[in-house]
Amino acid sequence: MKKLLLVSLCFLMLCITQVFAQNRTVTGTVTAKEDGLPIPGVTVKVKGTNNGTQTNTAGKYTLAGVPAGATLQFSFIGYETLSVAATGTTVNAVLTLASNQLGEVVVTTAMGIKQSSRDLGYAAAKVTAQQLTATGVTNVANGLTAKVSGLAVYSLDNGVDPNVAIVLRGNRSLEGNNNALIVIDGVPVPGGTLSSVNPNDIADVTILKGAGSAALYGSEASNGAILITTKRGTGDGKPTITYQNTFQLENVSYYPKLQTQFGTYGGEGPPYVNNITGEVFYTPYENQEYGPAYNGATVQIGAPAGSATGPVQMVKYSPYPVSPIKQFFQTGFTEQNDISFSQGDAKNAFFISAQNAYRTTVVPSDLNIKNAFSVRGHRTYGMFSADYSVGYTKSRVSTYNSATSNPLGGVSGISGTYVTNAGAADLYSSILQLPAFLNLSTIKDPDGLYGNPNDFYDAYAINPYWTLKHSRRNINKDVLLSQLKLKLEPTKWVAISYQLSDNFGINQERDTQDEVDFSPYGISDYWSAGNVPSGFAATGKSLGQVNDFYSYGDGTSNPNPGYSRIQGDAIVDLHHNFFKDLKTSLILGNSVRQQYLKEMGSGSKQLLIPGFYNINAIGGAISANEASYMIRNIAYFGDLNIGWKNFINFEGTLRREEDSRLSKAERTFYYPSAKLSFIPTDAIPALKDSHILNYAKLYASFSRVGNIDIGAYQIFDIYNLTPGFPYGPLGGLSAGTDNYSSTLKPELTTEIELGADLSFFDSRLAVNATYYDQHVKNQTVFIGTSITTGYNRTLTNIGETQSKGEEIQVTGDILTQAANHFGFQLGANFSINDSKVISLLPNITSLSLGSRQYAVVGQPFPLMEGTDFVRDPQGHVVVSSTSGYPSTAQTLTTYGRTTPKYDLGVTTRLAYKFVSLSAVAEYRGGDVTYNGIGSTLDFTGSGYTSASAGRQPFVFPNSVINTGTAANPVYTPNTNVNVRDGNYGFWQGSAYASTDYPYISSGAFWKLREVNLSFNLDQFVKQTRFIKSITVSLTGRDLFMWVPKNNPWTDPEFSDSNPQSNLRGVNDIRETPNTRLFGGSVKVTF
Amino acid sequence: MKKYILIITVFFSIGISGCKKDYLSLEVNPNQPSVSPPGLTLAGALVTAAAIVNTNYSEYGVWGGYFTRSGNYVPSPALDQFQITNQSYTGVWTNLYQNITNFNNLQVASAKDPTQSNFQAIAMIMKAYDFEQLVDQFGDVPYTQAFLPSSILNPGYDSQQAIYNDLVKQLDAAMALIAKGGGANPGSGDVVFGGNMTGWAKFANTLKLRLAIRQSNLGTNAAAADLGATASVGYLDGTTQAIANPGYTTALSGSNSQQSPFYASYGFDVNGNATGNNTYYRANLFLINILKNDNDPRLNRIYSTVGGIVDGNTFGDASARSNTFTSTFGPGLLKSGSMGAVLMSGAESLFLQSEALVRGYGIGGSLTAQQAYEAGITASFAAMGLTQAQAITYYSQAIQNVGWVASTDKIQAIIYQKYISLAGYGNLEGYLEYERTGYPNLPVPASADPSAVSTTIPKRQYYPLSELTSNAASLGKEGTINIFTTKIFWEK
Repeated sequence: MKKLLLVSLCFLMLCITQVFAQNRTVTGTVTAKEDGLPIPGVTVKVKGTNNGTQTNTAGKYTLAGVPAGATLQFSFIGYETLSVAATGTTVNAVLTLASNQLGEVVVTTAMGIKQSSRDLGYAAAKVTAQQLTATGVTNVANGLTAKVSGLAVYSLDNGVDPNVAIVLRGNRSLEGNNNALIVIDGVPVPGGTLSSVNPNDIADVTILKGAGSAALYGSEASNGAILITTKRGTGDGKPTITYQNTFQLENVSYYPKLQTQFGTYGGEGPPYVNNITGEVFYTPYENQEYGPAYNGATVQIGAPAGSATGPVQMVKYSPYPVSPIKQFFQTGFTEQNDISFSQGDAKNAFFISAQNAYRTTVVPSDLNIKNAFSVRGHRTYGMFSADYSVGYTKSRVSTYNSATSNPLGGVSGISGTYVTNAGAADLYSSILQLPAFLNLSTIKDPDGLYGNPNDFYDAYAINPYWTLKHSRRNINKDVLLSQLKLKLEPTKWVAISYQLSDNFGINQERDTQDEVDFSPYGISDYWSAGNVPSGFAATGKSLGQVNDFYSYGDGTSNPNPGYSRIQGDAIVDLHHNFFKDLKTSLILGNSVRQQYLKEMGSGSKQLLIPGFYNINAIGGAISANEASYMIRNIAYFGDLNIGWKNFINFEGTLRREEDSRLSKAERTFYYPSAKLSFIPTDAIPALKDSHILNYAKLYASFSRVGNIDIGAYQIFDIYNLTPGFPYGPLGGLSAGTDNYSSTLKPELTTEIELGADLSFFDSRLAVNATYYDQHVKNQTVFIGTSITTGYNRTLTNIGETQSKGEEIQVTGDILTQAANHFGFQLGANFSINDSKVISLLPNITSLSLGSRQYAVVGQPFPLMEGTDFVRDPQGHVVVSSTSGYPSTAQTLTTYGRTTPKYDLGVTTRLAYKFVSLSAVAEYRGGDVTYNGIGSTLDFTGSGYTSASAGRQPFVFPNSVINTGTAANPVYTPNTNVNVRDGNYGFWQGSAYASTDYPYISSGAFWKLREVNLSFNLDQFVKQTRFIKSITVSLTGRDLFMWVPKNNPWTDPEFSDSNPQSNLRGVNDIRETPNTRLFGGSVKVTF
Repeated sequence: MKKYILIITVFFSIGISGCKKDYLSLEVNPNQPSVSPPGLTLAGALVTAAAIVNTNYSEYGVWGGYFTRSGNYVPSPALDQFQITNQSYTGVWTNLYQNITNFNNLQVASAKDPTQSNFQAIAMIMKAYDFEQLVDQFGDVPYTQAFLPSSILNPGYDSQQAIYNDLVKQLDAAMALIAKGGGANPGSGDVVFGGNMTGWAKFANTLKLRLAIRQSNLGTNAAAADLGATASVGYLDGTTQAIANPGYTTALSGSNSQQSPFYASYGFDVNGNATGNNTYYRANLFLINILKNDNDPRLNRIYSTVGGIVDGNTFGDASARSNTFTSTFGPGLLKSGSMGAVLMSGAESLFLQSEALVRGYGIGGSLTAQQAYEAGITASFAAMGLTQAQAITYYSQAIQNVGWVASTDKIQAIIYQKYISLAGYGNLEGYLEYERTGYPNLPVPASADPSAVSTTIPKRQYYPLSELTSNAASLGKEGTINIFTTKIFWEK
């Protein structure tokens, strides 16, 4: 597609060349280095003359009148200009992509309009297909990670179907959407569908970082946009078939630091503790590791199995060589097969691809199978052309059931267990409760001798293998992305097009949990511990459960499915050059879209027939819910471009939008933008042809766009069904606690952007630097109102926030790889994002955003605030002079922002002959994280921190005691007041574990994101004529992570929030440990 | 050129022609109603009010000596050591204000229509019922500036005494509205009295009595002086009790239990298995010993038996025994999933009347203080499934605070008996009356946990964090709160 468009651009420019009659004719073919395909439209010139021609659609050229000893120059937009000595009558040329020639890169901008990057008045970064898929990513977002300044990809968890969010230039909306708009081939698609796009179908990705660049997309693109251009068939009519096999292994790369010194005890009374000395004894059924130190003795674990005289499991009371957590997680495996066929010429193109991806992860029995098909093409009939694309992705995900994301309430663990303290319903939590001396092979079968729910050694938790086998979530997703574009070009200065797209997904989810039948022996509670089975004494069973969830939307899983969308865009593109040097274009358009979401759920916790998961055989009532949402939007827009002499360009855009989410009075609004670019290296004669600064562009833009951050129907108050109702015919309603208003307005983002693209030393060094300053007014937020007003939250437009930053991207082609020689490229992208709340509401300087996060006037947002210990004015922790324990302060402490302030990506590529090695690393920092997992680890006592003082009484570090009175405190350094009990008492019985401070750490990390060792075997297969190209690569992703010492827990990138939420920096035990992937791929082109 | 303009015009018309005039009018929420008929609001709000008072006050049950934390669970610094923050026990603030919002909406809407005067009266009574809980736990709270979201987002705090005074006025006005008559019967939406407005009038009058008695420590007690004005309305008793029951049943409605809130919270789930609270809260030796000493047959009704006996733990005991050795809620409290939810028991009303008579408040009626006292005990026995004969046997014992004649301090005897009768459903009221009078005769034990930060139980609650973050300016005027020393205005 790209080449074809470049061709048409060339035709527009009407490069007229004069042909002189000379004595020799040279012919040849020009091909592209990266794919070996012929390039049509390449200018071929005898160097130093005006004698030239262009290649035809098959990339072939014929140039007459070439003098002996002359040099031919091959030039083409987007490629390095190549000079070849015309020694024979056949001169073939292989052109290399010019990644550094900033001025010549053609960029797909808003509404699918192609522009030369030199005309752009804003920052737009391009990621090529090769860069995107270097390490065989299955998700487009992962392929973009760390490659573009200002673009942050958040991998929120490590599941088999992970949640990913893409944010450009940090957060600007306090509570609303901050995620970039995803646009495929000019059409915005629902955000959730990105994961269903096959990365290998992508030709390139353009990132429009700011609001201004995406102003034409209106309110949806106030957070910037990711423009994806998919592959179309190209070439000379010959079919090209590409087959690629990628396989990857995945294992856990970072475990929380665990202790291996102490066994099980959990606060029991005698006989498990000596009440006089406080000595604790080994407790064979506990889920907490606050017991005596390991001593190598042989001990009994759990109760006799089956009956009081049944077999007894004896274990050595010393750490098992492999820790339970390492025994539990397995090596995951991913295999991906891709095949594509493409064929095309200047007028027609056809592309078809199929992908199968099979993935297992580190969690046993988790599975994700994805099959994707797509057909795309382009056809031209005279002035009429049609372009179409249909992509269908079917995925099946099977995973263990986590309690959190279920709209009907958790179906997880065994309902009614005693274990409420640590959220043991979650798999990871139950793994963290396994003591270090346990050999998991004895409990691996959750229906077996020691693993079954009646005989599981742990009285208070369930066997994690039980969750794996008997509590499942099965998801089926069908996503269809389709579009059709019809275009009419009646004359060379008018193009009229209409584009229709319909994108939707259907998500079907079934959560099931097996019935458990408890034996009288299990219920009899051998240890009198109040074990799990004894909680089911009344009925002897925990009934099976089922929940079904369906949504018609963007295909993402609940609880936050996105909207489906149908959109129609009509565009008239007028372009004409006046007076030779005045280049103008005017684009007028109309866009109508409808977004729709329908959700339904049903379920029961009282299944009557074990293993039969259907609400047709239940006791009690079916739980069911239903909701539908619709959004409509009509927009008109215009885009005027005026360029003079190819060195100065002005662009102005205006969009008028009407949106159904707002009340009639507030529904219509306008978004203007103005951009200017200037190229001094072309405009100023003194700068021309400099080899030091060979290209420079300066640009500035101003824009104002809106962001409608309210959901459908959020302008009137609602009543909800009161819990418990209906009681027979009796209904009951309760007023909703959200205060809605029909006067809500869209958020208004005003952005100023300044930037420079500089290219030095014949484009060996390219620098792109931008500065932006965004002010957002009318932030649409739920302010936490005092419930005494009648409402917990009020959705309102408030105050102003600022988000500004600097971005710099440097690419150095330190050694250019000439034929068979050494090449070395090094790049870095760095961004700083500063946000600040300027004002909220009169008399309100702080408001809660949820999850310990706040917006505070004068501070960055979101800002983490949490409880801290009571401290003296110097910041020392005040401990009790009798117990040595700290206490929790009544006011909240500010810990810092929860999104990274600094983001640095480093990319490098080394090449020698046909071998290349590339790597991507990333640093993020300047933020803090609340590690909920730390609290779980202190609960279980399996964490390293809880054993750091050897479970002995200790003086709380840097603490003071109050030797004065409560009214007139005198703080004296604490040198001798030990915590009363350095074991269970401190870690579970003091305010330590219930305070936020111990679990808040820096959110900084370094990650080695990608490594790719690639062998291009083209030269060895050339003679086969059948195989055009073979590339073999070894790849690795997220190989290593380094985090600061105060984070012994987990990946700070993880977050328990959903991708639509702005609240990062809070994790818990729902995110299993992070992993590394390594593998290889073979790509063959026929 | 004309041709192209024509094409462009036609083209745009196609793009827009799909849009009807009301294409963008999608304001109406198809998923949730934006108005509620009074009967539905009333039913929802009454059931919620009952759930709050039945399930929100576990901590008072522990501090008040009724229950303790199970030895099967890790210690709770807040519960066992009074390491209380403004997030510990403040959820009820939101629950109550949310509940009052619904009654307030009902009051405002029904005030516009004279035929809905009964809805209006019930709304006023229930607002008083909820507001009393707020004042008794938090002191000054937003009252006059509450529920005006369009003009006041930061409601100021009203003085506790002023709120009490106005609650009495509101109850008087509600009784007057009911007396005036003419309103439509609230019908099935009234899940407490089934539309019987006499019951509501008596409930209002008993609430008024409670407000008066709560202020017994004050020098001047205007509420007490005013009791005579409505004495003729009468009070709740053993037959007319404020008990909500919309049709509680051992079933699920959607994902919500339809069981009686106390049963669902402290008893068993719909499958009959014990709930988390049932295993977390165990019998407290403090009340066990009281009941044992008095040969009180309610012992085996309030608590379950383990191995044939009732046993429990000491509050704050670090090595509290496991559930195998300790009693939980007994059959007198956990009657069934369909039992009613007590808003105010007949026994409580009778003890209030008895105290009023002892104090000489003009409440009219024909009962003597002793009769009311003994009727209160009988009502309590009946509520726990015991017979009148058992009650007579019990209160005929010549034991201090059991037999009327044997009790030297009548007020103490009344509170002592009321304290026992409130076990379970009346955790809050039992605690409040302890704070007012210092009775039962033994001070309730503070925590045995050596890390406890106070030797007495809290006198009140902190204002919730949500007020600090969303209403700081108004809250700031309340000064610094110390939950162990800052008293509610009526506290001893």
